[in-house]
Amino acid sequence: MIEEPFRFVEAIANRREYIESQLATGSPIVALDYADGVLLFTVGRERQKLFEIYDRIALGAIGHPGDIERLRMTAIELASTEGFTRSAGDVSLRRMANYSLSPALKAAFEQVYGPPYLARLLFIELGAAPGQNTFLRVDYDGAIQSNGTSFSPSRLSYAVLSGTRPSTEAMETMLARRGDARASLQEALRVALEAWSLGFCMLDEEKVPENLPNPEQLRETAKTQLAQASIEAAVLEAHARSHATYRVLTDPELQPLLSQLTAADKNA
Amino acid sequence: MIPPTSRLGASLAPGASAGAPPISAAIALPSTGSADAQGGDFLALLQARGLYHSAGQHFAPSSVNVSAPAAPAPFVPTQATTILAFKFAEGVLIAGDRRATAGNTIVYERADKVLEIDRHSVMAIAGVPATAWEMARVLEHSFQYYRRTQLQEMSVGGKVRALSKLLRDNFGLVMQGVGAVVPIFATYDAAADHGVTQENGARAHDPNSGRLYFYDVMGANFEVADFAATGSGSPAVRGVLYYEDTWGAKPLLAYARDEALTLALKALDTAADADSATGGVDRHGRIFPIIKIITRAGIETIADETLARLFREHRRATGGSLSGGSASNR
Repeated sequence: MIEEPFRFVEAIANRREYIESQLATGSPIVALDYADGVLLFTVGRERQKLFEIYDRIALGAIGHPGDIERLRMTAIELASTEGFTRSAGDVSLRRMANYSLSPALKAAFEQVYGPPYLARLLFIELGAAPGQNTFLRVDYDGAIQSNGTSFSPSRLSYAVLSGTRPSTEAMETMLARRGDARASLQEALRVALEAWSLGFCMLDEEKVPENLPNPEQLRETAKTQLAQASIEAAVLEAHARSHATYRVLTDPELQPLLSQLTAADKNA
Repeated sequence: MIPPTSRLGASLAPGASAGAPPISAAIALPSTGSADAQGGDFLALLQARGLYHSAGQHFAPSSVNVSAPAAPAPFVPTQATTILAFKFAEGVLIAGDRRATAGNTIVYERADKVLEIDRHSVMAIAGVPATAWEMARVLEHSFQYYRRTQLQEMSVGGKVRALSKLLRDNFGLVMQGVGAVVPIFATYDAAADHGVTQENGARAHDPNSGRLYFYDVMGANFEVADFAATGSGSPAVRGVLYYEDTWGAKPLLAYARDEALTLALKALDTAADADSATGGVDRHGRIFPIIKIITRAGIETIADETLARLFREHRRATGGSLSGGSASNR
């Protein structure tokens, strides 16, 4: 198979199609800047999708739980051993993704006799100053997309992860229109839920709406989904008391968002 | 092109515990699989990578016998410092002076012997700083690594045991006359805090949710209900704390924050009066002890200004010089 170029390309294409179909149902993940760091947000039913990797690095992932677990463990081990042998300041998301994860994912993807990783990862690293946060998406084939280089004057203040391209693009377009990267946590949560709802609507390729759903429809989607699933949200806090900045949001912090949904319903 | 190995410190080959040799360095991700067997054990990970050697590994009993001198070196405790900790109404207070000594020489007047390990845990050390700080670093990473990989906080019992193990591993060096460490470990068991109902009916946190342990050099841990002290100045401190707890106006557990801070300052100052290895409260150099308070909300380091104010207020109240004893040369 490998010795014939065409068959190699065909095999890779088949493999890509297979993995994409496996990832296509993944519930979207939204990450965006807010006044005191970065918010990570998703809605899920059965398993945890947001994880702490190191003091300033978090991970959101969709895909097969076994593969996510291997990659998550790898990332934690790389960061922890580097942070221990040198210092926490030497742990860098960019190095981890570029030099360790990406080559390994690409190799696993292209070795057509072995199993690929069925996973798509979104890493977030809290920067030294507001607007310096890094969002970095690593795909199953090792491709990396990030929100700009370290010297970029205009870094994006958000990133999304979703099962399909239309869903990803719709969410990115919506978040790009959002002006304020210094919003309060509650405002960021509201934006995140709206973006998630849009991403979720666009997932099903058979039923992609012709026009983008309006806010009212998005609210309906959110309500229907939240009736059977729950919000998972965490923050990387710029002003955390300890070195570890990752914190899972508590119920009282999520309550205003849920009350807002039902209140809007009563007014209507 | 630079091969993608060892760019992040860690090797890309699987850890020793993973067993099978890597097919190709480029595709083998580290660990993957070994981590399950390790169950979030950071020390095992370091050992698998060759990044950590406990002192005990180098001292098999036979080799000690062969190389042991005819008369074993006398064991000299070198915990020249004062560390104290006690439970009070809000949680646990833990304090240490800031002097580091080598024999009769003062090497450093701003040493930090009260080290934060995680959001609710503090380790305070008397003994050899090199060993103690390394232990603190290992502990900090162990707890974080466990939480991150296992997706749950390590239990208080597990944390206490982790420090025991480090002390035990270090014992080979201690027997050779170096590296003795006698720590106090304080933490707040948020999981066990179910709250209590106060006299006025309001709900409050359970003051007993603070946890306090002291250790010996071999790693035995002792949980204490009220207070603990270690280091060369500890006899004086133990006297002060016992007296206040038993014969004072109220037990330490009923102390409010400022009262607890004042008592810690008084106790350290008392210890420093007779113990040359304890820095105490140096009013001239404006060097104050490190005092940390562990409550349900986390760890708080008390600002020097607060300590200075309490110290000043107290001195006025007693109307005398706190530098006290007639033999004092400060």
